[in-house]
Amino acid sequence: MLKTLVPRASRSLLSTKAPHLGPANLRTAPSFQIVSQNQQRRRGYASEASDYDIVFIGGGVAGYVGAIKAGQSGLKTACIEKRGTLGGTCLNVGCIPSKSLLNNSHLYHQILHDTKKRGIDVNDVKLNLAQMMKAKDESVAGLTKGVEFLFKKNKVDYIKGTGSFVDEHTIKVNLTEGGETEIKGKNIVIATGSETTPFPGLEIDEKKVITSTGAIALQEVPKKMIVIGGGIIGLEMASVWSRLGSEVTVVEFLGQIGGPGMDLDIAKQSQKLLAKQGIKFKVNTKVLKGNASGDGVKLDVEAAKGGKNETLEADVVLVAIGRRPYTDGLGIENIGIELDERKRLVIDQEYRTKIPHIRVIGDVTFGPMLAHKAEEEGVAAVEFITKGYGHVNYGAIPSVMYTHPEVAWVGQNEAELKSAGVNYKVGTFPFTANSRAKTNLETDGLVKILADAETDRILGVHIIGPNAGEMIAEGTLALEYGASSEDVARTCHAHPTLAEAFKEAAMATYSHAIHF
Amino acid sequence: MRPSLILRATQHRTPLIKFIGKHNPPKTLDHTPKPHPASPTHSLPDSFKTYRSKAQQHGPLGGQGHASPFQAPTSGIMTYGRIGGTPGELLGPVEPKDGEYFDRNDLPKRFWRAQWTEEEIEAVNSGGAGLFA
Repeated sequence: MLKTLVPRASRSLLSTKAPHLGPANLRTAPSFQIVSQNQQRRRGYASEASDYDIVFIGGGVAGYVGAIKAGQSGLKTACIEKRGTLGGTCLNVGCIPSKSLLNNSHLYHQILHDTKKRGIDVNDVKLNLAQMMKAKDESVAGLTKGVEFLFKKNKVDYIKGTGSFVDEHTIKVNLTEGGETEIKGKNIVIATGSETTPFPGLEIDEKKVITSTGAIALQEVPKKMIVIGGGIIGLEMASVWSRLGSEVTVVEFLGQIGGPGMDLDIAKQSQKLLAKQGIKFKVNTKVLKGNASGDGVKLDVEAAKGGKNETLEADVVLVAIGRRPYTDGLGIENIGIELDERKRLVIDQEYRTKIPHIRVIGDVTFGPMLAHKAEEEGVAAVEFITKGYGHVNYGAIPSVMYTHPEVAWVGQNEAELKSAGVNYKVGTFPFTANSRAKTNLETDGLVKILADAETDRILGVHIIGPNAGEMIAEGTLALEYGASSEDVARTCHAHPTLAEAFKEAAMATYSHAIHF
Repeated sequence: MRPSLILRATQHRTPLIKFIGKHNPPKTLDHTPKPHPASPTHSLPDSFKTYRSKAQQHGPLGGQGHASPFQAPTSGIMTYGRIGGTPGELLGPVEPKDGEYFDRNDLPKRFWRAQWTEEEIEAVNSGGAGLFA
């Protein structure tokens, strides 16, 4: 009986024993084979109310990863992105271009200052900043086009334009190439990311007063640069321009650099090593106001602990005091979903807003503003839709600062454990005692592991040293698996590698390191 | 002196990490809205509850605790729904009983028979040739 409900276009797939069903039998006429595809689609079951199973607003790391996962899961998927290229802040103006500059500026700095002792005499070394920027741009272009290819491969419709909510299921898109369109989604995922938090009183022009976006695109090396904010972004950019010849001063309001989460011991050592490279620090210092009306920029600063006021001058000031969620033009007022006091979209444990089919992932909602966290959420949000369950462990999300040496950590730091009243033990191992670090002539730094005093379960891993950003993956895996320091210590690590320092730190945590 | 096998076995260290087999879906899923693990306030606005009690998306989303023939189970899949909140397989067979017939018009409109377009009628009458004329 219900067979009559099958759309005519699909009935040829059914048994030929179907009884006479009136006009539907006309399907056997040859003409039926050549009606247009649109007519066949018209006769399908899918409700016209939903064009897409899932629509992502924002093609950054959260949105594009989620869209690819959705495409792989068989959902009819669209991704709206207004930048013109996919990848969001990370690929276009964040993680990726900054890593290109960090790597190449480090090479330049090393050639200038660190070759003679290695037995390499290099003469007439010159900086070609335009070529360095070109290399960066080529890396970015290659990766963003790669994401576009992945969209095609996984049948994700890429809609270039600015999306805003008309109602709970409808999104109006102002197309980049002109005109507008409306699309509907059964599920909608907001992944609009974040933007730099401006400094009150200083207008960003991306020339004299810059954000991280301007800091990766300067046309010449500024003679003097001030960085407001000693967090990860500020210190990475400070490193780049300091290596290229700028006189850089970092002004940090708090007493330690590195931002939230970095262990105090590691932060102190990092500050010491960066200062050795020529970066000046003013910690516990508040920027009162700035003036960019002249040739350069003047900043009035005040030392927090009874220090005197002073005026700092620079050619360029980088504002790196943090990032804030970006929801401009999204039309959230049309659907009435909530923002918290820091303008983050409020979600539940499955990334749902109060409207269950509208989910939010990435920087625009809770959690650390990190690309890899956003990626995890992109996959998890789709899995909640397709499977009913997903997984992101917010207690095991690594952080990495790509200075030299790199700093990386995962889990809790000592201050957090102390404030939580956790009884813990500490094991450290310095790279000076690691054979590979010795041969590489890069012995600054250490690995520090924090483990529960009773169970030996690893609670936090903090690394400063060469390759810390790669090595932290082992710590993250240990944390995710709930490993003990003894588990890591008893796992064979290849010799000679930097990773042996990790094993030795684990040995020091539960017993004693061999080589220190 | 060599330790006995029993002694060696007792001294064998048991790692904290255990292989517990392939990842399996959780046996029960509770989709009731709860605060996001990274939420600084560890709370949800009341709107999450009130929206669900009013919303009509695949049937009312709220209504837990209401006596209703459409009441969904409070644990297991789709805990937050009533109509549409129960898996189809739990609703019993869909085949009509003897002497019972379903009327297409009782279904939502999208399942109704689509009207023939002029183009389709022409295609049928002409054997399709008319489309290429």
